[in-house]
Amino acid sequence: MFPASFDYHRATSVKDALSMLKQFGDDAKLLSGGHSLIPMMKLRLAQPSHLIDIGAGREMSGIREEGGNIVIGGATVHAAIETSTVVNQKLGLLSECAHVIGDVQVRNRGTTGGSLAHADSAADYPAAVLALDAEIIAEGESGKRTLKAEHFFVDLFTTAMQPGEILTAVSFAPIPQNGGYAYIKHRQPASGFALVGIAALVTMKGAYFDKVRIGVTGLAAKAFRATAVENALSGKGRDAIEAAAMHATDGIDPLGDIHAGPDFRAELARVYTRRALEQAASRAKGR
Amino acid sequence: MLTGVSPHGQGQETTFAQMVADAFGVDIDDVTVAHGDTAIVPSGIGTFGSRGTTVGGPALMMSVVKLQDKIKKIASTMMEAPPDQVTFVNRTVALASDPSKSIPLQQVIDAAYGYKTPIPGVEPGLDATSFYEPSACTFPFGTHVAVVEVDPQTGKITFLKYVAVDDCGKILSPLLVEGQVHGGIAQGIAQALYEEVVYDESGQFVTATFMDYAVPKADMLPHYDLGSTVTPSPVNSLGVKGVGEAGTIGSTPCTYAAVMDALKPFGIRDLTMPLKPEKSGPRSATRKRRRGLQDVSSII
Repeated sequence: MFPASFDYHRATSVKDALSMLKQFGDDAKLLSGGHSLIPMMKLRLAQPSHLIDIGAGREMSGIREEGGNIVIGGATVHAAIETSTVVNQKLGLLSECAHVIGDVQVRNRGTTGGSLAHADSAADYPAAVLALDAEIIAEGESGKRTLKAEHFFVDLFTTAMQPGEILTAVSFAPIPQNGGYAYIKHRQPASGFALVGIAALVTMKGAYFDKVRIGVTGLAAKAFRATAVENALSGKGRDAIEAAAMHATDGIDPLGDIHAGPDFRAELARVYTRRALEQAASRAKGR
Repeated sequence: MLTGVSPHGQGQETTFAQMVADAFGVDIDDVTVAHGDTAIVPSGIGTFGSRGTTVGGPALMMSVVKLQDKIKKIASTMMEAPPDQVTFVNRTVALASDPSKSIPLQQVIDAAYGYKTPIPGVEPGLDATSFYEPSACTFPFGTHVAVVEVDPQTGKITFLKYVAVDDCGKILSPLLVEGQVHGGIAQGIAQALYEEVVYDESGQFVTATFMDYAVPKADMLPHYDLGSTVTPSPVNSLGVKGVGEAGTIGSTPCTYAAVMDALKPFGIRDLTMPLKPEKSGPRSATRKRRRGLQDVSSII
């Protein structure tokens, strides 16, 4: 299908984009890689009158180290993250996640900021940014503000960002040297989205879990931290994984569709949580 | 070469060009294959049902033989040699007994279309049209074997090995035959595991885009170990049999049977296709009772 007609505007800077956002208001949508927005426009689920292209400016693209953190521009494509040496060395979980997004074509066009701001319930990045406890940087007319990942995802396609704001970057603290991680997903066979995706990041003290963070995507309307699993594991050994993983779906109302019903999705979440934790623990150093 | 057996991806442009090139000792690039234009070829029906080469090929060969005979007749007069001594080599016609005696093929063609025909009584020009109706169907056959692994906790199906041995008679273009088998297996596996048209309870078509209709990508398919046996068909002069459907016919049942065999210990005897993980995964009461699967007890 063809999208409804719209006007295209190319923003040359964040400032430029912000002023256009203000000018066009609710009739405008930001266009980055376009891999979520354009399909929605073709199905006419979205019919913006104005598209403001922020993918063209280099200002928001790229990976840099800043005060010990790794800062990834909102318009950075998945492929750049997947292949970045810095990300691979310091944020292996994010590399692993980027590597399994969609397919090569999607990874060459789709952007980190686009994926996070769109907040598809089955996108891969949300699980990783939750497990990595990332900070999301939003810029609006009144300046920059920082949002913690755990407060960022509000509901289906809904984030804590305000209208008129642009997701310009995501900031990550590097994974500790002794940390172990894993991102495991069950792919929807057509789209490649996550029917369930589990991101786990752990550190061990001897044979016992020290810090555990688990991000879950695909299961519910929004990505979330599986805090019940995290709490059940804290201070425990690897033999506690199986019982702890059963809490992955605590208090969650699982989604269901033709590819996986709610019960099956919930079961996948528990199985993959267990597997992700096993893998993360086996990768963690410091035993 | 004009044909009404219009290929739409099966590659007969190449197969037919190869046949013409071999018959007249010219390069494959010297041959132009035109198809899909009813203004130049009014009939032929097209390529489907594994008929492209088995029906179009013999028709082409009938025309090829007519032209070979005519060229030999003209060339033999020009070279003062008997027609059965004329062979087609490297864009020339040459004597079988003494290949150093040759004239360019183009010279013979020019003569056939020339101001004065070399042989009185022979109709000028070099074209032939043939119609061919097969006397019977050809019977390609083959065996496909799939070895799969099913993850009992997630229902994920992984191929460990896929072997296909097909017999399509004489193989004219090995690469194209392999391509047809590859594509066919992919389609057949897709039917067994992935592709499904779904309407919801209110009649809404929910697999209307490729975001939901699962056409397999390369990484969702196994490596294919292919082999062939060659049993020429007695039905046509080429000994060829169809291959377009070989892959699809073998792959769906063998994939399905492999998955069902893997699930047999779990008491699962029949599932409808496509075998989505939700079906092949840990779901039934039967499976709940099986040893080692306690962790799935929360599923229906």
